[in-house]
Amino acid sequence: MERPQKSHRSRQSGPSAKKKSDTDKKKRDLTEEKKQNPKAFAFNSTVKAKRLQSRASEKEQRRLHIPTIDRTTGEPAPYVIVVHGPPQVGKSLLIKSLVKHYTKHNIPDVRGPLTIVSGKQRRLQFVECPNDINGMIDAAKFADLALLLIDGSYGFEMETFEFLNILQVHGFPKVMGVLTHLDKFKDVKKLKKTKQRLKHRFWTEIYDGAKLFYLSGLIHGKYVKREIHNLARFISVMKFHPLSWRTTHPYILVDRLEDVTAPDKVSTNKKCDRNVTLYGYLRGCNMKRGTKVHIAGVGDYNVAGVTGLADPCPLPSAAKKKGLRDKEKLFYAPMSGVGDLLYDKDAVYININDHFVQFSKVGDEDDNARKGAERDVGEVLVKSLQNTQYSVDEKLNKSFINFFSQTSNNPGKVMNGDEQDDEDHVKHKNSIEPMEEPDTVGSDEDSDGEDVDDLEEAKNPHENSTTKTFGDSPELKDNQQERARNNIEEEVEFHKGRMRRKAVFGNESKLDDQELQATDDDEEVEDDNSDEESSSYSDSSGEEEEDDLEENVGNASKWKESLVERTISRQNMNLMQLVYGQSESKPNASLREDSDAEESDDEEFFKPKGEENKKLRQGLEGDQVNTEDSSKFTNYASVRDWKDGETVESIRDRFVTGDWSKAARRGKATEVDSENDDDGPVFGEFEDLETGEKHEGDQTGEANEEPDSAAEERRLKKLALRAKFDAQYNGSESPDEADDNSHKGKDNNGQANEGGFLDKLREEAELQRQRNIAELTDLDEATRVDIEGYRTGTYLRLEIHDVPYELIEHFDPCHPILVGGIGFTEENVGYMQARFKRHRWHKKVLKTKDPIIVSIGWRRYQTLPIYAIEDLNGRHRMLKYTPEHMHCLAMFWGPLAPPNTGVVAVQNLSNTQASFRITATAVILEFNHAAKIVKKIKLVGEPCKIYKKTALIKKMFTSDLEVARFEGASIRTVSGIRGQVKKAGKIELGNKPKKNGGQPEDGIARCTFEDKILMSDIVFLRAWTQVDVPCFYNPLTTALQARGETWRGVRTVGELRREYNLRVPDNKDSHYKPIERPLKKFNPVIVPKSLQSALPFRSKPKDTKSKKDGRAVVAEPHERDVHKLLQHLQLIRHNKMKQQKLKKQEKKKKHDTEKAKEEVVNKKRQREERRERYRTQDKLQKKMRRD
Amino acid sequence: MGKISYMKLKGSQNLRQRLLLSTLSSTPILIEDIRADATWPGLLPHEVSFLRLLETVSDDCHVEINETGTKLKYKPGIVMGGKHLEHDCGLSRSIGYFLEPLIVLGLFGKKSLSIRLKGITNDSKDPSVDTFRSTTLPLLKRFGVPSEGLELKIESRGVAPKGGGEVILSVPIVHNSLKAVTWTDEGMVKRIRGISFSTRVSVQFENTMIHAARGIFNRLLPDVHIFTDHKAGAQAGNSPGYGISLVAETTSGCFLSVDTTISYARGNDEMDIDEKKELMPPEDVGEQIASLLLGEIEQGGVVDSTHQGLLFILCALCPQDVSKVRVGKLVPYGIETLRNIRDFLGVKFVIKPEPATGTVELKCIGCGLKNLSRKLS
Repeated sequence: MERPQKSHRSRQSGPSAKKKSDTDKKKRDLTEEKKQNPKAFAFNSTVKAKRLQSRASEKEQRRLHIPTIDRTTGEPAPYVIVVHGPPQVGKSLLIKSLVKHYTKHNIPDVRGPLTIVSGKQRRLQFVECPNDINGMIDAAKFADLALLLIDGSYGFEMETFEFLNILQVHGFPKVMGVLTHLDKFKDVKKLKKTKQRLKHRFWTEIYDGAKLFYLSGLIHGKYVKREIHNLARFISVMKFHPLSWRTTHPYILVDRLEDVTAPDKVSTNKKCDRNVTLYGYLRGCNMKRGTKVHIAGVGDYNVAGVTGLADPCPLPSAAKKKGLRDKEKLFYAPMSGVGDLLYDKDAVYININDHFVQFSKVGDEDDNARKGAERDVGEVLVKSLQNTQYSVDEKLNKSFINFFSQTSNNPGKVMNGDEQDDEDHVKHKNSIEPMEEPDTVGSDEDSDGEDVDDLEEAKNPHENSTTKTFGDSPELKDNQQERARNNIEEEVEFHKGRMRRKAVFGNESKLDDQELQATDDDEEVEDDNSDEESSSYSDSSGEEEEDDLEENVGNASKWKESLVERTISRQNMNLMQLVYGQSESKPNASLREDSDAEESDDEEFFKPKGEENKKLRQGLEGDQVNTEDSSKFTNYASVRDWKDGETVESIRDRFVTGDWSKAARRGKATEVDSENDDDGPVFGEFEDLETGEKHEGDQTGEANEEPDSAAEERRLKKLALRAKFDAQYNGSESPDEADDNSHKGKDNNGQANEGGFLDKLREEAELQRQRNIAELTDLDEATRVDIEGYRTGTYLRLEIHDVPYELIEHFDPCHPILVGGIGFTEENVGYMQARFKRHRWHKKVLKTKDPIIVSIGWRRYQTLPIYAIEDLNGRHRMLKYTPEHMHCLAMFWGPLAPPNTGVVAVQNLSNTQASFRITATAVILEFNHAAKIVKKIKLVGEPCKIYKKTALIKKMFTSDLEVARFEGASIRTVSGIRGQVKKAGKIELGNKPKKNGGQPEDGIARCTFEDKILMSDIVFLRAWTQVDVPCFYNPLTTALQARGETWRGVRTVGELRREYNLRVPDNKDSHYKPIERPLKKFNPVIVPKSLQSALPFRSKPKDTKSKKDGRAVVAEPHERDVHKLLQHLQLIRHNKMKQQKLKKQEKKKKHDTEKAKEEVVNKKRQREERRERYRTQDKLQKKMRRD
Repeated sequence: MGKISYMKLKGSQNLRQRLLLSTLSSTPILIEDIRADATWPGLLPHEVSFLRLLETVSDDCHVEINETGTKLKYKPGIVMGGKHLEHDCGLSRSIGYFLEPLIVLGLFGKKSLSIRLKGITNDSKDPSVDTFRSTTLPLLKRFGVPSEGLELKIESRGVAPKGGGEVILSVPIVHNSLKAVTWTDEGMVKRIRGISFSTRVSVQFENTMIHAARGIFNRLLPDVHIFTDHKAGAQAGNSPGYGISLVAETTSGCFLSVDTTISYARGNDEMDIDEKKELMPPEDVGEQIASLLLGEIEQGGVVDSTHQGLLFILCALCPQDVSKVRVGKLVPYGIETLRNIRDFLGVKFVIKPEPATGTVELKCIGCGLKNLSRKLS
């Protein structure tokens, strides 16, 4: 029989009951236990309340930021996670653990950046920060997240703080601390305390609540899986804020470097300048073609060629599955020697591990021959997985399909395009676009095939057959139908990857070229026409109609779409080519200009009679007219007769008096047109945005058009909503900001508040962003790159020529290479003024003109700063040393950096130095071409001839010219007599008159004073003299030397002295000596006799004998006795008195203590009495009350 | 970096723009073959004057001209701006020639610029100062230039050949960068304004011009006001002349303007004092200018053909956002500007004709120029 279980009886009393009730209360959010006195916290001072309010609002204001426009489009580049820490703290192990966690791969060693796919939307790039200060500085410039590893058993080390300081100066990316070596603690309590201590120290350095991770120990030589998992979670949800320097400069963290110098050149001269290619993801902002770059630690270079490559580590395709499949967990680390494929511009390198070989693609193709029917399930699985692994670059796939669909439908153009034809087109293309590498398109097919062949042969004999089939594939492609080709595509994936690119090139160029030619011809014809404008318009409109027709037929097939797209792009190209096309290359332009000049000469020679000349050249071909530099272009010849009714009617609708609906249609017609243009291609998604955009544009233009289309209105709203949502979504990161946002939402109703203003700004930024995205979607790839440059997130290959060979020789993958783009003016050199502060941990103050190494922007260089401070009147006064605890100005020469750039300065690069290496931090205030810093100068002179109040001063100036420069300057003597410089003294000096053959001394100034000066006076002139900032800077070429070596630049004077064993020059006059002031002996005052007699007796000098007569007193024996006796008596009396005094004191003391005792007793008694009295009184009162 | 690498250019065309863009992008330039084969080789007086102007407003700019003046080396400095500057523009070109680049340059200076320019205020080659006031300054405001401090004050007028006019231009600096625009709606013309002037001639000239111009507009728009500005005495400059500047304002805030000035030709007066060319009578001037304005309106676009160059430059100087503008027919000057922008700033425009309206739509991503010379406070 089952007994019913006893029901739970909750505790009614005791500590557990109390605890429960407490938690209940908390849950219900009832905090009723303490009702405070409401009056106690009401404000009672209006002033105070006002102050509080203003403070609160100020705090709120400070939290607000001006929204920045996010200009990144498409997939973001992998986020860079820099793992930093002192040596032996476990950096590589952490990276290995994280990589293992993400990809299930063990990597042998961490060398160079390591890219992995960490999630569906996120890629990460792990970099280990090298252990020298240069590496740290560079790492701080590209880190999106810095993991600071700290040895818990040891505590913080200086490297961590140095790195933090560098980070702070260069924009402060996200920082997370990781404590390691915690298994060294045996004592749990001590461990806990240490954690606490380190955490709080970490917080003071960053902010309260900064995340500090604890890795408790190692298991099997790896960190604990769970903890790594947690860390990975934190990394994957991390949000990265844009940093202002980086959003305005493109940069690349190089994850692969190849030396592409011609081998024979290297073999003849090992030390010849090299050509290198650098690979990496483009970050920061878009990079245009002509951008100059700075390679950190090497120098500035022009980029010889930029190519966008296929992403070596692409994000998985957008599928709506949860999480990542295993084979999508790619990783890419060419410097570490892992990763299977390396894509180059014209080649693919494959790295196949031995145990992968038997399952590689080869098996698939000729598996009949090899294995027949019996295949393992697992094997099949693995194979399928491999397939997927190769097909990850789906982007490429897509473009590939597109292009082939085009080719299949334009058989006349491509199919029969034989080799020769190809060649022609290629050439043509080159002539148009010199940017393209000439050698890649024509001949690389074969070479690639060979490359692959070689590789494969080296790897595995099995591969050979497959490579052959690959080699065949071009022919296949030409001959077979699309379907068949698709098959191939499935099978020869990686090969396609390369071929695909080539095909793209060939087809596209062919098609485009043909079209371009055609259009060119068209244009030429049109140019000849006198009224080409209208004809070209009619032409294009005809095409427009065609497009429309096609649209009506319905999107029949893809090729039609592409056709439409192409025609559109062609139309765009027409005008663009007219403007840009011919003057693409410089020499052409100059030639053209030459001919212009000639023409212009003619023109000037024969003065133009009227406007007929102009009429001839009114076409779009602008350069012929443009000898006269005038913006005005009034075409008097084409003035129509506006008195005519018809002509007037033709523009009636351009006026408000006209038909508004027609006018609106005019505006709309263009929009519809453009919409149609855009409609053709696939960008349905963006299309609505675009129209929204346009409408928005109208709105800003004072909103004349009736918003006839409700749809557009809706779209606009949608955009705005999205912007707001985004803002809120970002804000919800921290709770207080979320509050802030909700608050703003309320404000929005008021619309007048700053919240509304901020919202408006945010919305504007968001609209601009959408516009940026939408406007450029309808362009083809090449033009888009022309217009906006390579987008962020593209995998770029930069070719750079003439790099010193040391870069290759001393290349060390552990030291990542940073390539940063240089903006306008940043390659120029000049003076910069910075607000400068010595770091408080740096031991010494800094001396003016002592070299320091600064890191500004991408650069690091050594320079000689001059420190200064601004006086009240705006003068910049030189300082010999930096102030102890204050900012000062530093002026130095170097490559210019824009104002507001952070600067970090170090003096010593060596690793062995124990103390803190960061010397100072600064921020650039302005740059200038003239540095005006002054220091005090004191000109000293002495009078050589004195008249009444005028004196001639010599030795102050060296020439009369100098005197003239100082006319009117105020001067002063030591005794304080002020004066003024008048003019150069013309007279010859006394003992050397001219007639005696002496030269008149030069540089004698006539000065006047307020009083007569003495010959012994010294005259000062206090003035300011300009200090020149030394025009010196020395870029740090740390990448061009062995990494262990310490870079040496200009040494400080102190260092030089130490090295050459020189003593500090010692000027004896500058020594401080004890001041000796001998007592002044004054002569006795002699009162004249006449005066003496008139004095009263008291003041009269008396004829008193001084006591010291000099004569000895000899006493009689009796007298001596008396004297002795007297002395004795006195002594006795003295003693007596002393004793009496002592006795008295003692007595008094005794008395005092007794008195105190009595007092106590007295008090007690009195209290008793009082109590008694009160008691009786109380009783009485009670009695009375009772009665 | 020790050596300066000059950008090599040839010919005299677009000197102003080249110098302007070179200064803004701080690219040193070297121009060769400046009118090398001409009868008067080398730089002309107004070009030299413009170089002098650059020297006054900027710091440490370095100009080197060879003996014949056919070769010019220019290393730009930092635009300083400043108050109470003065420049004599000479008499070979009007002040408009100098104003066009100066107004852009002033925006990117260290301090706001205020400069007094002396010379010819109105002539037929360059946009007149009236046009600047009515059209160019509003155009700048579109790009986020603060409106306070942006001003052009006409102290006195002067026409060719002897000039004697004076204007004070003040331009504020942009604090960070300009603002990208999307400006494609040209709107409808809602009002026409204008100003006519006469110096050292009868006021009747103005009235005749206005009357003639109104006669043409009357059929289209009632809202036409043309103001008169008759100068006399010292304010009238040294030569007789008259002219008119018209502005059409559209509902979307675009300003289209035309102007012209009639005065005696400059230069060769000692030769043919007796046979001075017949000047156009005011009636014809009025009609012609009105027709020109209607021509501009017919063409469409958010700016008139004179301001295309300026519009493109401003677009290119914007931050890295898309700017979209619409103009009527591309004029040669505009095309040259586009090319120069490409060469100096690396900004290319997407140019798309719109056949339905006969306009051209241009899109670009700005070069992201910031006011770098500004001092951080």
